[in-house]
Amino acid sequence: MKKVKADDIILKVILLLLAAVVALPLYITVVNIFKPTAQISAYPMALPIPPTLDNIVKVLTDPNVNVWKMYLNSILITVFGSAICMFISSLAAYYIAREENRLSGFLYIYFLFGLMVPYVIVYVPLVTMFNKLGLTGNLPTLIMVFVSGSISFSVFMYHGFIKGISRELEEAAIIDGAGAFAIYYKVVMPLVKPCTTTIAIFIGLSMWNDFLTPLLIGQVKTITVGIYTAIGPFASDWGTVFAYVMLASFPIIVAYLLAQKQFISGLTAGALKG
Amino acid sequence: MRKRSKLFLVPAFAVYTFLLIIPIIGAFYLSFTNWNGIAPTYKLIGLDNYLYMIKDARFHNAIGVTAKLTITICLTVNILGLFIACLLNKARKMTNALRSIFFMPYVISTVAISFIWLSILSYTGVLNSILNSLGLGSLVRNYIGNTAGSIRSIAIIEIWRTLGFHMVLYLASLQTVPEELYEAAIVDGATRFQKFRYITLPMIVPGITISVIMSVMTEMKQYDMVKVITNGGPGYSTETITYNIVTQAFGNNMLGYSSAIAVFLFAVIAVITVIQLKLLSGKGAQ
Repeated sequence: MKKVKADDIILKVILLLLAAVVALPLYITVVNIFKPTAQISAYPMALPIPPTLDNIVKVLTDPNVNVWKMYLNSILITVFGSAICMFISSLAAYYIAREENRLSGFLYIYFLFGLMVPYVIVYVPLVTMFNKLGLTGNLPTLIMVFVSGSISFSVFMYHGFIKGISRELEEAAIIDGAGAFAIYYKVVMPLVKPCTTTIAIFIGLSMWNDFLTPLLIGQVKTITVGIYTAIGPFASDWGTVFAYVMLASFPIIVAYLLAQKQFISGLTAGALKG
Repeated sequence: MRKRSKLFLVPAFAVYTFLLIIPIIGAFYLSFTNWNGIAPTYKLIGLDNYLYMIKDARFHNAIGVTAKLTITICLTVNILGLFIACLLNKARKMTNALRSIFFMPYVISTVAISFIWLSILSYTGVLNSILNSLGLGSLVRNYIGNTAGSIRSIAIIEIWRTLGFHMVLYLASLQTVPEELYEAAIVDGATRFQKFRYITLPMIVPGITISVIMSVMTEMKQYDMVKVITNGGPGYSTETITYNIVTQAFGNNMLGYSSAIAVFLFAVIAVITVIQLKLLSGKGAQ
């Protein structure tokens, strides 16, 4: 019995040490946001006493960097991109999951095909196409590109989920005389809510964090592209760098801390279902 | 039963086809041309781009870098991820809190993470400051200024970023192993290693397959971190395949050649996907 206790303590110590190693870079980021750069170099691990808001004020008021515009771009992309994608993907997945015909069989494979495509392959054709059509540099174009990139995953997830729920409620609604779209909207969508949460987290986070797509398609300054270009001239002014990093990650970290379970299961669901 | 309207399919089909499938076909077509992205005309040059890939040292280097990163990262996150998952699985009370800490780097954007680590590993960064203040000045060096150091740094950062993700996959996998098997083994007097080797390991083979393939797929497409940490340098020495594709197209205006490399990457990933499906459906049938 005594041996078991000792084992238990060793186990916990190892785990806590590993967690500390993982958390260390995050600790360094958080404490150094509130220090002047000279102090960061001298005492990188110390707590910021007294704390200064200079770094944050500096990046928020830099006339060459419009942080609020970047936030707005990222929010619009994430909200509209994931909402549109989930709406059109769930509609298609609903048809494919319920109608057992050859068209459904073909479309299922057709939509799943996108899961094995390295996305980098489409940048050159897309940029060329948008330049020709004069669609470069606007937000709606970028949003639709993000939508197209997440359809495969969303159809795959919704299809699996809808297959697993019973048809009884839908049949009852038909007897009540509900139309096809009303059934989708009022009966099916509420039933697949857990799936919607999972997809929203997965594709929303990928849109918020994406770097290459907004950089190449229309050069829209999202928060991720924005901090990359803004840090450029300050690459060793660590106080500024930490402040930008915090700005880009703050909303995500708050959301993560509030809904850890949903984040973890949402981000691993794709892999675990695959 | 009344049919659901085919109209349900139209929006997703249209967006997916116009913005994903047609561009992919476009990339295949461009890979047989010498287009530079600026000239109004271009020629079909057959397989020339593909033949050039065979002798392009810069491309070979990119394959080497990608392979090095993929193998190092994949082995480390899977072994370490499984190890931590096994420990966490026993730590009952602490499991949830620690899982949250390990997973946190995975939700932050790779660009932000790269900047955090840049501030640690740069010559004027945090690590060297600490070494100096500890009187270990002899260890101070530019960790990302040379080829070997920068590849190692990228591997370490990526391991740090994805470890929690793989650990969670393994944790989910471990929880599918029935407790009775361990109880039976204890009765038979099995050692801890024997329990792991003969019960845990065989039971989580599907989980290992998924986790390994996920990390291979992610690392094959590595771009963001290389862009921020080294910009592909010094020289071309830290260019990955995806970095090479983007630079050839948007830096060197070799759109045809870039597309050929992209088609190559696509083929490699398609093969891995097919292997994945084979392995997993095989396991399901047992």
